[in-house]
Amino acid sequence: MSAGKCAAGAVAVVVLAGVAFGAGPVRKELHYKVGKHSMISLNNQYGAIRVKAGVPHQIAVTALLHSDKVEVDESRSGNRINLVSHVLPGSDQASASVDYEMTVPPDASLTVHSGDGLIHVENIHGDLMMEGNNAPIEVVGCGDGHIHIRTLDGKVSLTNVHNGHIEVGSMGGDVVLSGVDGPFVKVNSNSGKIQYDGDFADSGIYDFSSYTGNIEALAPPTASIDVLARSNNGLVQSDFSLEPKHTPFAAKVGSAFAGTLGKAASSVNLFSFSGKIHLKKRQN
Amino acid sequence: MTCGEFEHVLPEYLEGSHSPEQQAHLKSCAACSDLLADLNCISSQAALLRGTDEPSPRVWNSIEAQLRREGLIHDPVIARPSWHEIFQRWRGAWLIPAAAALIIAGAKLYHPVHIGDREAVVRPPVSTPAKPEAKVSAVDAAIMSTVAARPPAQRASYQVDLDHANAYIRDLEQSVRNDPSDVYSQQLLINAYEQKQMLYDLAVDRGMGEQ
Repeated sequence: MSAGKCAAGAVAVVVLAGVAFGAGPVRKELHYKVGKHSMISLNNQYGAIRVKAGVPHQIAVTALLHSDKVEVDESRSGNRINLVSHVLPGSDQASASVDYEMTVPPDASLTVHSGDGLIHVENIHGDLMMEGNNAPIEVVGCGDGHIHIRTLDGKVSLTNVHNGHIEVGSMGGDVVLSGVDGPFVKVNSNSGKIQYDGDFADSGIYDFSSYTGNIEALAPPTASIDVLARSNNGLVQSDFSLEPKHTPFAAKVGSAFAGTLGKAASSVNLFSFSGKIHLKKRQN
Repeated sequence: MTCGEFEHVLPEYLEGSHSPEQQAHLKSCAACSDLLADLNCISSQAALLRGTDEPSPRVWNSIEAQLRREGLIHDPVIARPSWHEIFQRWRGAWLIPAAAALIIAGAKLYHPVHIGDREAVVRPPVSTPAKPEAKVSAVDAAIMSTVAARPPAQRASYQVDLDHANAYIRDLEQSVRNDPSDVYSQQLLINAYEQKQMLYDLAVDRGMGEQ
């Protein structure tokens, strides 16, 4: 091969590589210095969002844009940061995708909207509001604030969330609560299952309800609860021997039960229209 | 004319003041013409929603948020609501289905019993939602129109969820009719309305899927 052909080949490779890299993922780094109790809002249609607690007063965002068909619009007003994945015309799900990794102060509050991409939030103790269509939503090690989650069909899991005012609304997505407690914990599901594994602590109110989804609650033998459970058309079971109590409805075996355990510190309401309900005793 | 200059005069343009220079810029700039198309779409959607059913304040908040993102409106003087206030407002929205459920429950208590209502209704366990009503309500039509531009799979998912929410409401209304003193069925009915409210909220949130 002549020197000229070699040079032409090398140029072609460089040009093709440049085109390929130009159309590929682009990494965008953003950094903000904020005060106490900052607020971050993120709106992303496609792609995963992972948020973890970092150091106070620092927000670091790494956005991986999968193509030039999507942009990250940012705006700031004092302690409030807004990030929006701005999808440009002619894009599809793959090219409009942006993956975010963020570290935010532990006391930050978050508002996150996602279409289908995962939302994972870890060790944040401010208020959290998360919404998604089919996005799986994972909350780990958070608490001390309001946690509001709304999803159509994404699975929701809360793990080791304490002292939170928690409200979860789901249509078809299963809701799994593990090690979750607080003064108010409410799950309102349609066909999604509700699973709770915890202590029903904090003298809280725990309201779990569904239309057709099954409800399964796992509690320790030492739980201190006042329980009402009823399914209009589904089977209702309890592994505990509860102290009977008066109820406004007939506590029919197999369709409803009511009673107390221990000092009945927390109120537990399990209601379904046609889902099965099972209050299980954890075997230690 | 630059894009920045066009955006600066966009409010006047939307109100009908068109100059040849602006028209020429629109013809040559895809970004600005797309922006204009988006805004016209928002305007038509908002008019549609107002015409069919009065939506929650969240609808207007979503439109306002979109206009802010586009840089069309600013509020340098008026203080923004605090996080706490936002939560309070959001929580308040849930009162709408609650109020609706209470009205329905009240109506069932005060209206005379219709023929057929006296008969005990034994319903089999529900594993699938009942058939959708033949006539689509104005609210349902509004919900589906707001997601009309989304990908087919997402639209189908909304339709399924809407059917489930309606089935939930129908079944609980029946339960409340059968026993108007059953406060737990009433609570479930309120929860069913909350689910429909959630569907509505997620549908009108432009950030959730419209491009």
